Amino acid sequence: MSDSADDLAGLSAFAETARHAVAACVPLSMRDRAALLAADGLLGILAPEEAGGLALDIRFAAPVMAAAGAGLLGYPLAESLLLAAAFGNHPEGTAIAAGERIATIAWSGQVSTQSGRLSGTLGRAPLAGEADLLLVDTTDGAALIALDAPGVAVLPAFGFDLEAPEHEVTLKDVTPLATLTADATARLRDDALLLWASAIEGAADACLAMTVEHVSTREQFGKTLVSFQALRHALARQKLAVEHIRAALARHDALAARGASEAALAHRVTFAAAVRFGAASVESALQLHGGMGFTWDVPIHRYLRRVRAVEAQGNAAALHRGLALDLLHANS
Amino acid sequence: MDTDTLPLRPGLTGEDFRAHVRAWLAANVPEGFLADQPGYRTPDFAACRQWEAAMHRGGLAGMTWPVEYGGHGLSLREHLIANQEIGRLALPESVNSLGKELAGPIIMAVGNEEQKLRFLRPLLEMREIWCQGFSEPNAGSDLAGLRTRATWDGSVWRVTGQKIWTSGAMNAQRCLLLARTGPLEDRHRGLALFAMKMDTPGVTIRPLRQLDGKESFAEVFIDDVEIAAEDALGAPDEGWSAAVRVLSIERATNRMYRSWRFENELNHLVRACRADATLASLINSGEWHRRLAETVVDIEVLKAHVEPVVERLVAGESIGDRGSLMKLHWSEAHQRFAALALELVEQAPPGASAAVQAARQRFQNVYLRARAETIYAGTTEIQLGIIGDRILKLPRGR
Repeated sequence: MSDSADDLAGLSAFAETARHAVAACVPLSMRDRAALLAADGLLGILAPEEAGGLALDIRFAAPVMAAAGAGLLGYPLAESLLLAAAFGNHPEGTAIAAGERIATIAWSGQVSTQSGRLSGTLGRAPLAGEADLLLVDTTDGAALIALDAPGVAVLPAFGFDLEAPEHEVTLKDVTPLATLTADATARLRDDALLLWASAIEGAADACLAMTVEHVSTREQFGKTLVSFQALRHALARQKLAVEHIRAALARHDALAARGASEAALAHRVTFAAAVRFGAASVESALQLHGGMGFTWDVPIHRYLRRVRAVEAQGNAAALHRGLALDLLHANS
Repeated sequence: MDTDTLPLRPGLTGEDFRAHVRAWLAANVPEGFLADQPGYRTPDFAACRQWEAAMHRGGLAGMTWPVEYGGHGLSLREHLIANQEIGRLALPESVNSLGKELAGPIIMAVGNEEQKLRFLRPLLEMREIWCQGFSEPNAGSDLAGLRTRATWDGSVWRVTGQKIWTSGAMNAQRCLLLARTGPLEDRHRGLALFAMKMDTPGVTIRPLRQLDGKESFAEVFIDDVEIAAEDALGAPDEGWSAAVRVLSIERATNRMYRSWRFENELNHLVRACRADATLASLINSGEWHRRLAETVVDIEVLKAHVEPVVERLVAGESIGDRGSLMKLHWSEAHQRFAALALELVEQAPPGASAAVQAARQRFQNVYLRARAETIYAGTTEIQLGIIGDRILKLPRGR
């Protein structure tokens, strides 16, 4: 298994590169962020080599997404990784991996197609206001459109995530640049679940570290907060939550590596676990910061916003319904 | 039950071993033994004892123990495989779990050769049932406060004290006894382990009635009991440290079947509900979907914690205190599930079918017994302390 030693080295190198890049992105414009992330090879991890990518499997995107979650990256990274791979044989895919075009995805809504032209209202498109390209759901898969094409209107941002605000987008008779089959679209959505889980893991772990720091230095009743057992136990639960997400991700990778049929369930379980345990963990981090936790300046709320935004983008509610229905069908 | 078929052929590993385990279980599980099948009758102690002895002959117990001590000399991978297959069936819990999961591994770690030969095989063959004498009335989670005293009188150890919550004491031949040889101020040092014979004069067992109405744990009074030198396990001052080392691994590897048994319970719950018109309409309604889905997630997350432990240990890596993460998760997740199951099955209308009544009985028991799961083997609060202190390495504070 010399492969796995190489893999480990590769994964930790990615993690290191990604941490630096995410930190360096903070003061930059969206265009400059695209250029920097691309220069570090982070946008084309999943894209084929013909498209300038690294053609690696989804495991290698995990540390990058975790770094993006930990550093609250304001860039449609999951979307770029997925679209550069899905359109790897198309010039737009190459441009996305190269950071020349900024691409995002409308995670809710579906357009109708008439004579090859797309119309409808889409939602949950992170950073669509600053992107060039948008993937939209169609009745038979998905289509990539240019956001500056005639008939496209990006509505003002709203939504939870302050670093990656969501937009609604309306399309009226828009001609797509390229399309994806239903199968390719389903694969993309499955892969998104894993990328989001990694982002949540990074966010929850960052909040845990901030909280440990906070309780180790702040004093009340003449003692540091960390000396109070109630708070130590709450921190232990935050750690347990982070470890749940890591374990679920690792199990998915192990199942996928041996081609096990349970890998399909593991995609959904990993996202569901990340959303449930990740949100609880970040909420606990906020609680342990006391009144400071409710201020604008302490960034825990930004992480909570991101986790909840991602929960909605992945439609966790529907995913849970699906898990329950599968359980019922398996026992009918 | 010596008529069981399909003995374990030497050299079977991996998926071949799994095929053997499946075939063996299909051929040998006694009539009425499975709690999720029609005709289930709660098996008594004697039946469980026979069943476990048969499982051992079939290669489904003592997988990793050396052949010379009655084990099968296989790896933890086969241990996991056997546990997965055992877990998929609603089989009774072991009546010698403390022997197999605690006494055996500790004897293997600190016992001498003579003790290994004398104790390990009888335990696997179910000729000797073990109980655990750790907890005392004033030393539950905090064993450093343990007061049962062992004194060497020049020819034998003389032990006096009291143990409590001793599971299976009435049926046990041996007790893995923790007693103090040094002063109380020594706390964890000066604690020694013994293999005390339960029929020694001076040992008195008083059963305690549990909240489920069963008398499966007890108080054990130890009044000037003689224990031979040959039954002392390890050096007098290293008993506790050895036990702690063994326990941190055991917490992660024992009853690995739990996630698969948990899944068996969830599937049984759903099948039972679907067999009843009232429960079926409930379970099909959206109101219950979230909790059912979260149970699926809890089970898969438990598997995600359990499975990698095997590969890490096989590779010679340390798993540190990860057993505490697993213990905390399964005990709490199982309690959540048990509450859900009870809430659902108790909505069965009067006159529900035998299958639904059987499910009610199973899940009432599961619910009550699950209350113990966050208490035994280190309470939830102890596990949270371990995670904070040793995994998260929180500063002590000032």
